Amino acid sequence: MSGYIESQPLGRTSAKDDAAGNTQATGGTQSHRLRAGGLIDRQAPLGFTFDGKAMTGYAGDTLASALVANGVKLVARSFKYHRPRGIMTAGSEEPSALVEMRTGARREPNTRATTQELYDGLVANSQNRWPSLRRDFMAVNSLLSPIFVAGFYYKTFMWPAKFWEKIYEPMIRRAAGLGKSAEQPDPDHYDKAWAHCDVLVVGAGPTGLSAALAAGRTGARVIVVEEDTQLGGRLLGDGGEIDGMQAGEWVRRAETELEALPNVRVMKRTLLFGVYDGGTYGALERVNDHVPVPGPHQVRQRLWRIVARRSVVAAGSIERPIVFPGNDRPGVMMASAVRTYVNRFAALPGRQVALFTNNDDGWRTVEAIRRAGGEVSAVVDSRGQVPVDYQSVVKASGLRVLSGCVSDVKGGVDGVRGVVVTGADGRRQEVAADCLAVSGGWNPNVGLSCFHRGRPAWRDDIAAFVPGDCPPGMRMVGAAEGTFALGECLRDGHAAGVSAAVDCGFAEDAGSAAEAGDEGYAISPLWQVQAKGKAFVDFQHDVTASDVTLAQREGYESVEHLKRYTTLGMATDQGKTSNINGLAIMAATTGRSIPETGTTIYRSPYLPVAIGAFAGHNRDENFHAWRLAPSHYWAAARGAVFVDVGLWKRAQWYPQPGETDWLQSVSREVTTVRNGVGFCDVSTLGKVDVRGADAGTFLDRVYINAFSSLAVGKARYGLMLREDGIVMDDGTTSRLAEDHYFMTTTTAKAGPVMQHLEFCRQVLWPELDVQLSSATDQWAQFSIAGPRTRELLQALCDPAEDLSNEGFPFMGAREVKLRGGIKARLFRISFSGEMAFEISVPARFGNAMAENLMIAGKPFGVVPYGTEALSVMRIEKGHVAGPELNGTTTADDLGLGKMMSKKKDFIGRIMAGREALAAPDRQVVVGIKPLDRHRRLRSGAHVVPKGEKPGPDTDHGYVTSVCFSPTLNQWLGLGLVTRGRERFGEIVRIYDPLRSEDYEAEICSPVFYDPEGVRQRG
Amino acid sequence: MGDFSWTSQSPLQKALVPGVHGAGSVPGVELTEIRNILLVQVMARRGNAAAAARIAKKLFGIEPPSRPGAVFGKGVALVWSGPDQFLVFAPQGDGSLMERIADAFAGIASLSDQSDGRCLIRISGARAAQAMAKFLSLDLDDGVFPVGAAATTSLDHTAINIWREADAAGEIPVYNLAVFTSFADSLYRVIADSSLEYGLRSSWPVAD
Repeated sequence: MSGYIESQPLGRTSAKDDAAGNTQATGGTQSHRLRAGGLIDRQAPLGFTFDGKAMTGYAGDTLASALVANGVKLVARSFKYHRPRGIMTAGSEEPSALVEMRTGARREPNTRATTQELYDGLVANSQNRWPSLRRDFMAVNSLLSPIFVAGFYYKTFMWPAKFWEKIYEPMIRRAAGLGKSAEQPDPDHYDKAWAHCDVLVVGAGPTGLSAALAAGRTGARVIVVEEDTQLGGRLLGDGGEIDGMQAGEWVRRAETELEALPNVRVMKRTLLFGVYDGGTYGALERVNDHVPVPGPHQVRQRLWRIVARRSVVAAGSIERPIVFPGNDRPGVMMASAVRTYVNRFAALPGRQVALFTNNDDGWRTVEAIRRAGGEVSAVVDSRGQVPVDYQSVVKASGLRVLSGCVSDVKGGVDGVRGVVVTGADGRRQEVAADCLAVSGGWNPNVGLSCFHRGRPAWRDDIAAFVPGDCPPGMRMVGAAEGTFALGECLRDGHAAGVSAAVDCGFAEDAGSAAEAGDEGYAISPLWQVQAKGKAFVDFQHDVTASDVTLAQREGYESVEHLKRYTTLGMATDQGKTSNINGLAIMAATTGRSIPETGTTIYRSPYLPVAIGAFAGHNRDENFHAWRLAPSHYWAAARGAVFVDVGLWKRAQWYPQPGETDWLQSVSREVTTVRNGVGFCDVSTLGKVDVRGADAGTFLDRVYINAFSSLAVGKARYGLMLREDGIVMDDGTTSRLAEDHYFMTTTTAKAGPVMQHLEFCRQVLWPELDVQLSSATDQWAQFSIAGPRTRELLQALCDPAEDLSNEGFPFMGAREVKLRGGIKARLFRISFSGEMAFEISVPARFGNAMAENLMIAGKPFGVVPYGTEALSVMRIEKGHVAGPELNGTTTADDLGLGKMMSKKKDFIGRIMAGREALAAPDRQVVVGIKPLDRHRRLRSGAHVVPKGEKPGPDTDHGYVTSVCFSPTLNQWLGLGLVTRGRERFGEIVRIYDPLRSEDYEAEICSPVFYDPEGVRQRG
Repeated sequence: MGDFSWTSQSPLQKALVPGVHGAGSVPGVELTEIRNILLVQVMARRGNAAAAARIAKKLFGIEPPSRPGAVFGKGVALVWSGPDQFLVFAPQGDGSLMERIADAFAGIASLSDQSDGRCLIRISGARAAQAMAKFLSLDLDDGVFPVGAAATTSLDHTAINIWREADAAGEIPVYNLAVFTSFADSLYRVIADSSLEYGLRSSWPVAD
């Protein structure tokens, strides 16, 4: 007999029986718990509450099995009609028993009670009801159901259109949905991990275990993922005999063997939810969903990306409901679930069970109920005959067998009280029952086979879809492939395991397949019982049979239309129990076959996966990686305010005591630099070492201007274009030796430029002798600017270094010695328009350099300045930056057209000559000054000719960069304006509808400060 | 004015707090920042790959790897970093090694001193591979990534070099990660967070 089936007759719950030493739980609430048997630990009672009511269960229980054991039938209210619902299944396909788990920040709605492990102190609540589960006012929806038909929202909330946003949508949103999510941030941690294997086995039922054993024995690296807490699959619910032993014993031995194989890893509580490219699979491990709070440093869930060369998917099958009136009453349960509750959990879903089946497998339930001490009040078989295997049982026990269909279910919030059976002759009779077990046959669980758009194929003999084309490397076997006989599943699993291992190059002895009998499975499909009353197809979305026929009447015959019009199969269960019935009803309504009707397919994730699991480590301050500049901690110690610039944290300004506003700090920094000296960490700029005999030639081709002619010891400003002629990036590049250039890029484009250069080197001109390496992180580089820069540097540098205009002229670049024994690179370049240098030392000296600049500059009133001051000074000086180098501008747009060499070829040269890129009416960089000196200019504002009405035809450009210039004591900006350079002096309208601003400004030269460049050369 | 003092700082000066962190009393993961390293990228000039390899052999006593991998000599590791390129890792010492390298490869290979551009993080311990599976997509199985294996891969979307050196006592694997200096603070956080459930011991011995 079967391995797990050791159930004893139903126990009584009196204290006397407890005292008599039976295994009844303390507290005595478990009225429907069997005295013995099941895979639960009666020595480990667990207390929990449902809707505030305290109950007990045992270790090994799910929330659902514990509720069944406590005789609870009503656990939920349905989505649309708020109908009372119970527990329908014992697996993750559950469409009805969805509850809110936990409270507070850990509250999690729509948790399937059927897969939630019970733990001591578990708190669950029903959802979608008010004021209580038993008395739910919204159940009035059920009375109004004639209007809540398919397409209700489309039909009802059409007019008036303006009501939609303010009235209809908020109203619908309030009424819709099931549970409510937590309102505080999730306090738990999640992480992600990678795993690799040769053979991935999905599902550890008989087929999966057989495959895992076979593959594992060959030495292949095997990962077995099992959604459940225990291995065994259907064997846990149905038992059986394998290799002459009880199925339970066989599973234990298989598990022991797998555990002993070092090349096999078994992952329980792990759901395979997705199949991705290149043999990558997504899986969710529920590491700590079965405890109240994860332990210290523990994660709640872990998202696995499993890379497998082959996969054997033994995902089993899902029992199919039958569509008949009242099929959603609490107490109507899938027959296989009834057996699971009885055999695995030792909990009896009903004392008087009726069975409604259209296939042989459903009949197994009779034995399970009877052995547990329950009564089978009738078996209703739509086929009109008793299967051969059960004829002797019927005869011997006088089992009541009715030929016909269940056409109604009596009962209310407390569940089933009886069922109405209509015979083939139309005669109706009522059967008493407190539970109705239903078996409409089995649907192979084809979901994962569809994730690369494979379409399932129909098989008439089992009246179900089987996998079509599987994703590369995947094979489905066992019940998932439509093979239901145990012996065959074991053989097929074994063969698939061997085959997958061989594909991966393993050919060791895989042993032989376990053996078991091949019980028959005969079915005559029955999809829908034609009778009056609400018959549910999709339980989670409350879609009824009449919704499907209504959709057909209204022209939505395609399965894709049916799905979207009725929302059939669109709930979080993706229609695991409803899609096929819906299709079958549509097929019958339209007079087509099911394969002609077609099927919708499944998409990942197979089950809902928390966003937190996908985010893993990358949330809150760890949302993305960050980069720290070499003087970061020095700046932080000085109280710098940091700003995210790409991944970098950059000092934005350095507030000083008494300063209350960022503008005060920034203006002070600018003024100090313009009149004295300041420094700024500019290490974030990209730096590239370009070396080799052909480095100069290489740069000539990359930049629009020449670099091979640059003398050693000199720097030059360079501009590079994309292949399409648009500006890519700019920066200063110095020649440090004959065969060594040191390039700088903007902060934002450091990565893309490096990529571009490598592409040029490796693909375009592999014949050049050029070597590239990124040196961005190697150097701490500081800009030192202001009229007293030279004095500061003289204090810092070895006295032998000549920093005079003659000894170190503008655009000079060379190595210098610093006091204290280290060397630095010094570049005389200026972004601020002031006399300025950039100095760089190895990054380890970043903080020391900042400190020493403060010491060296103290006599001259040095200040550190941040990116805001840097920006103010570059705008005052008319230097372009990111807002102008924005992927739409040409060199000429930026006023740098004259830099384009005519003597050499370079990337982007030809395309830059295209008509539109050379058109005279392009928007070019100009300066913009509001006429009212106190008016704050804002970037993004449009430039419109004076007196014109703003609109697409009069839009002449926009403001790109703005600043308050303490030097000129007014707001200034740069902008891109049509024919801008011809319009200096013109008064234009600045129109900013976003901020409701409209004022006048003057177009001018973009160089507001020291246009002759006297200061930077001083 | 007198001389300035040039105190050097490590990329993990703040982030790495030496000691035992996380769960358990026996740390499953050992993390050490190897400070004061010399790291030079050696890129053969066009047509000079063989010559560069010969020079490396003469200088370090070992041939640089010609495909992804790491070879170990006395106090030095040569790690493949691209076609005709490799990284030299050695203790910084008195600084004379860099000069010897520069002299030896003159005209044959371009050098890029990256001693300050990378932070060297060594990860070891009985649970190291488990912790690393959380942030590396590489298959670290012994058969796939044995001692001497090296790869250029990504960690939290950031490029890194990784190579495996000889096991520590008790067949405990030892991995070296060279990460960009500016990312070190951030990546340390990723590594530490991934390791806490196994227990993490962090330290920063100086390279020897």
